[in-house]
Amino acid sequence: MAALRLDLSVALRTFRLRLALEAERETVAIVGPSGAGKSTVLRAVAGLVKAAGTVEVNGRDWSSLAPERRSVGFVFQDYALFPHLSVRGNVAFGGPPGDVLERLGIEHLAHARPRELSGGERQRVALARALARRPEVLLLDEPLAALDPHTRDTVRVELRATLRELGLPTLVVTHDFVDAAALAERVGVLVDGRMVQMGRADELIASPATPFVARFAGGNVLHGRARRLGTLTSVELSDRTVVTSTDAAQGDVAAIVYPWEVTLARTPPTDSAQNHVRAVVSSVVPVANRVRVTVGTVTAEVTAESARRLQIKEGEVLVATWKATATRLVAL
Amino acid sequence: MSLLAVFAAASLTAVFPGIDRAPRFQFGGSDQLAFQIRQGAPADVFASASPKYVQQLHARGLCSKPKVFATNTLVLIVPRANPAHIRSVYDLRRRGIKLVVGAPGVPIGDYTRTLLTRLHLRSALSNVVSDETDVKLVVAKVALGEADAGFVYRTDVKPAGKRVIQFELPVRAQPTVKYELCVPTKRKHPQLAARFVREVLSKRGRAALKAAGFGLP
Amino acid sequence: MRAAFAVIAALALAFLALPVVAIFLRVSPATLVRELGDPVARDALVVSLRTSALAQLLVVVLGTPTAYLLATRRFRGRSMALTLVELPLVLPPAVAGIGLLAAFGRSGLLSTSLAFTQSAVVLAVAFVAAPFYVRTAVAAFEGVDAALVDAARTLGARPWRVFARIALPLAASGLGAGLALSFARGLGEFGATIMFAGSLQRVTQTLPLAIYAEFAQSFDVALAIGALLVAFSFTLLLAVKWLRSDWISPSRFAPSVSG
Repeated sequence: MAALRLDLSVALRTFRLRLALEAERETVAIVGPSGAGKSTVLRAVAGLVKAAGTVEVNGRDWSSLAPERRSVGFVFQDYALFPHLSVRGNVAFGGPPGDVLERLGIEHLAHARPRELSGGERQRVALARALARRPEVLLLDEPLAALDPHTRDTVRVELRATLRELGLPTLVVTHDFVDAAALAERVGVLVDGRMVQMGRADELIASPATPFVARFAGGNVLHGRARRLGTLTSVELSDRTVVTSTDAAQGDVAAIVYPWEVTLARTPPTDSAQNHVRAVVSSVVPVANRVRVTVGTVTAEVTAESARRLQIKEGEVLVATWKATATRLVAL
Repeated sequence: MSLLAVFAAASLTAVFPGIDRAPRFQFGGSDQLAFQIRQGAPADVFASASPKYVQQLHARGLCSKPKVFATNTLVLIVPRANPAHIRSVYDLRRRGIKLVVGAPGVPIGDYTRTLLTRLHLRSALSNVVSDETDVKLVVAKVALGEADAGFVYRTDVKPAGKRVIQFELPVRAQPTVKYELCVPTKRKHPQLAARFVREVLSKRGRAALKAAGFGLP
Repeated sequence: MRAAFAVIAALALAFLALPVVAIFLRVSPATLVRELGDPVARDALVVSLRTSALAQLLVVVLGTPTAYLLATRRFRGRSMALTLVELPLVLPPAVAGIGLLAAFGRSGLLSTSLAFTQSAVVLAVAFVAAPFYVRTAVAAFEGVDAALVDAARTLGARPWRVFARIALPLAASGLGAGLALSFARGLGEFGATIMFAGSLQRVTQTLPLAIYAEFAQSFDVALAIGALLVAFSFTLLLAVKWLRSDWISPSRFAPSVSG
């Protein structure tokens, strides 16, 4: 008997959301483009939106219950803190707060008003408020979206720890794959109301079911036609470049290459890697201690130090290299 | 549409247009009309239900010497259904009757109070539920059946038709109700004004007044 | 061109200000104060305050749940209900008075003995003033962030709690503004009152009715009452503006800009 079992069908404006999902005491992230229906999933579990199908929590059918009778903790996208109540007033709204203020480290803010708080503090208050009632299910809607990048990194780590500690069936909706990967044990990708893939984050990266999943998880997607060439597959891209892959495929494919598996050099290296693209560097973007370099149609990710060493600059010609084994093919 | 503006007491509403349809009439409580003329309202003729207001204007040099043109008497009216079962004016002493009268200062209001004083019936005034600013409103409230009784002019009964029942009042108690008219000094149309006055005072005018129930001086 | 517009604006403002200013300039302040001591004025003030207070109580007690329902539920006939609420706004007061008589008069649809009583004044005032309150209240409730209502529900709040602890406090300044508007309209009510309740000193003669009864007899008393009403109206207008600005851009609740 799963802690959380969903089998939903909700009519949205341009399509129908259909989702079947089971979760134990774990965090499941639901990712996807905006408008895919992610928030609707949470609202359906909470009862805020009418859904055909079942919502079953710890063996009990919630489908006919009004939201106020369901035991959910919902953290809304902009937190929806009650502006006319203090932090304590907010957290205690659903019932006696117990020690949740202390557990989340916000007891010193008990008398503050929401407008006086920083983004990170507000997030913690929203979480505390959701937890005060000891809910059976936790629902988080874009919990990190309203934070600036710096705060986001710290809060992501804290939130991950808190979720592990709580051990509740939790659904997190986010449009950011990194957030999803960090917070959740499993990630489901929702596109146009359908779940196209569900699995661990590394599984999604390793074997994306569709090009969208690959792109979403941060990979290069190169379109072309595949032909078998002995034990390998040869893919001719639209710009006539040929790449080789160890995957088997035929016809129209998308070749997926992850940036961190691409190396850069000024001259083509003579090693075992079979795929080379020689092109002009069109962008150089630092990301934390790494740099994303786009060479032609391929984006590579190297350390900042390597980028400095190679003196990589826009407008130069570089060679991007990767192995056939690092080229995943997805049929189109 | 004539250019002549005639300000006249409310009780003349039915009869004046019968004498001359052309003027633009403004009917209302004589006290309010006098006030408006004092404030400069463009009246060419002022006909009041009481000498008081024309005399006041004349004393201030605001209008010509007033002329009496009609008289009237008061009657008591009750709605046709007579919800309070009134059989005479003396029944008005009974507590709880909804009596409507003219406000103090409005001619019908002053006349009513004079009448009640003469009948030793001032106690009836404690039954008043509304002081109306002109006699037409008194008629309306009784005719609608909202009030139990009201004091109006005899000439107001016919226009109200079957909706009211009228009771005569003792002649000795009747106040002297004299209608007087004058021409304000600021009138715009002296010839038309003079002609209207002549019409009212003429044989034809007097006949119309008599037919409506007014008395003639 | 700007000069021409400025001149026009100045004229317009003068036109609006003049009648009000004239009331105060026509007689000396001393006379105004003395005439306010006249029994007619004093009695009218008592009648006005009593009937206004009761009428507004009626408006708030009946109007608030109505406004909440109209604001938060979509039901068939909702737009008809909204139109009905606004109807007294466009109805000439005299027509409202006739209607009240036709409905509640002794020979009316629901025969009652309300006509000519102080309760009739309360009803007439409530009838013409209610739309001012309800319309503003609907807007105020609609302005409450739906996410907050959702949050409250997920925290176990039943409909009454959502209304009392979330919607009402957050809509409060809007409701206050609506009440001030309703009060101002009610104080000035004339046509419906004179028809339905009549005019009797100490019982049904409100401040506006007293002006009408007195102006031909004693203009100074009428002026003094007028001045009093201007003072009331002005105060209420200030209250509305203060409450409205608080409500439309509730700076008290604005989140601070920080990360």
